[in-house]
Amino acid sequence: MGVHENTYDSSLGAYLLLLPTLAAIIAFLYYPSLQTLRFSFFQTFLFGQNTRFVGLTNFTDLLGSQVYLTSVGLTMAFAVIVVIGSLAVGLLVAFLLYEVSDGKAAYLIAAIWPYALPTAVAGTVLLFLAHPSVGIYTHYLEAWFGIELDWFTVGWQGFAVVTVAAIWKQVGYNVIFMLAALNNVPESLNEACRLDGIETWRRLVRVYLPLMSPTLVFLVVINTIYAFFGSFALIDLMTQGGPTNATNLMIYQLYRDAFQFNNLGLASAQSVILFVLVAGLTFVQLRVSDRYAHY
Amino acid sequence: MSLDTNDIATDVRERGPLSAIADTQVLPAQWRVHLGLITSVLVMASPLLLAFVMSTQTVPEVYDITDISVGTDGLANYAEVFTRYGMASYMFNSLVMSIVVTVAKIAVSLLAAVALVFYDFRFKNAIFFLILFTLMFPVPVRIVPLYEMMAALGWTNTLLALTGPYVASATAVFLLRQHFMSIPDSLVESAKVDGVGPLRFLWKVLIPMSRGMISGLSVITFIYAWNQYLWPLIVVSDQSKQVVQVGMKYLQSVGNAGQTDWGLIMAGAVLTLLPPLLALIVFRGPLLETFGLSE
Repeated sequence: MGVHENTYDSSLGAYLLLLPTLAAIIAFLYYPSLQTLRFSFFQTFLFGQNTRFVGLTNFTDLLGSQVYLTSVGLTMAFAVIVVIGSLAVGLLVAFLLYEVSDGKAAYLIAAIWPYALPTAVAGTVLLFLAHPSVGIYTHYLEAWFGIELDWFTVGWQGFAVVTVAAIWKQVGYNVIFMLAALNNVPESLNEACRLDGIETWRRLVRVYLPLMSPTLVFLVVINTIYAFFGSFALIDLMTQGGPTNATNLMIYQLYRDAFQFNNLGLASAQSVILFVLVAGLTFVQLRVSDRYAHY
Repeated sequence: MSLDTNDIATDVRERGPLSAIADTQVLPAQWRVHLGLITSVLVMASPLLLAFVMSTQTVPEVYDITDISVGTDGLANYAEVFTRYGMASYMFNSLVMSIVVTVAKIAVSLLAAVALVFYDFRFKNAIFFLILFTLMFPVPVRIVPLYEMMAALGWTNTLLALTGPYVASATAVFLLRQHFMSIPDSLVESAKVDGVGPLRFLWKVLIPMSRGMISGLSVITFIYAWNQYLWPLIVVSDQSKQVVQVGMKYLQSVGNAGQTDWGLIMAGAVLTLLPPLLALIVFRGPLLETFGLSE
């Protein structure tokens, strides 16, 4: 299969070269992942000092818990909004970048820098700027629209602020990949569109989007994983899961059960559920795309 | 004389796609593209611009919400956050962690990629799959056993715990493998004829040929490592060993007489963003190329 694979012919040499990577993935990835599965069948008590085999009790407890089910629902809603929001904004910006003829390099950097934005910085900055009492955004939103905002106590507002922060942080990444996909559109096709007088938005929807579909599928998968796992810092710094659990994403619930309440078995069961959910969603997304995406 | 659309189309076809008529008719007017880009760039940058302005303000100025002029505190908040609130040590710890992760990850992945491309051995596909499949196991999926492992090894609060779990990389191995496979046969052949060993071949031929890819991967890895939050939060409890992302959390409690010193916190946020932002700006060429996008 490989093009250069007969350059060296010592199997031992190959295994030696692979040794550091294999040792690291076994020690830090596969072994702890399997351990997670094992832990999920145990209950820990006395601050983790003692364990007892409980079979599927952790899972049945979770699936019977209103708090946990709410957290699953919230996380799904959060993921859908973050994926759609960051892809939509990313697409708009990428398309504008693709169309612009002057100053492209400067605009590009100005548009993709959030790729370097640490989640903790995004969370801290928005915590202050949208702060219910001292935040400038809140101040003007209230002044202009005559509304009363307090996302420290109103659930949906807390959820909205965290969602905006998550989208803000993710746009840069999406712009990079979408622009790369747009740049691969054959120039001849562009000319054909121009000659046929196809208007801009129709060109984006009818011509570019189908051609970008492999990239879009990739981005949906990556953004879903980001929404499930990457937003922890936002929650921890901005809302701690509140107000009244309105931003209690699954990853935050897991953290609390593991490292604040020492329920290691219950937390491991949540890790397993997260893995199954994300793996399942990835699989479905790839299957759906097989049917509809133009590769 | 009437000039209907058919005539224009014929006219364009004869004069080529760059004709002025085609441009005005079909391309969105460039001023609208510029307007759209400037708006989106400003919206994305505004939280940071505001954070920067506020970081120069004194506490009373910050609490005067609508005051967005540069404050009278100058860079005093920066000096204070550095000297009095541990920012210097947080940033140093983050820098060490990020550099160690970057160097180790690239080195280990280079070796693995050499084995996968230039050798033929049993279980090659299985091993490659095993490496790629680690993408499905982000830290939250294995966090409890991973933490237990670090505690058992006595690695908590050490650089080993901060960096070890990040060394193996599916992405780096995958991209380097792709890159090595695209190297021309003639170069590989001459190395074979000269009897150059694999490590010398890697050092003398492959690395110099892959400078762009390696710098791109380094920037991606550096930004990724610098921005980690959840794992350091759990595995480091000693504040003097903590990284800057979690340092942001400690800063939140800074203030006097119930008034949070937001100017100081914003100074911390700006400082935390600077290293990855600089890395992105300085190395944007190789970074974008690694993502399949050249300027």
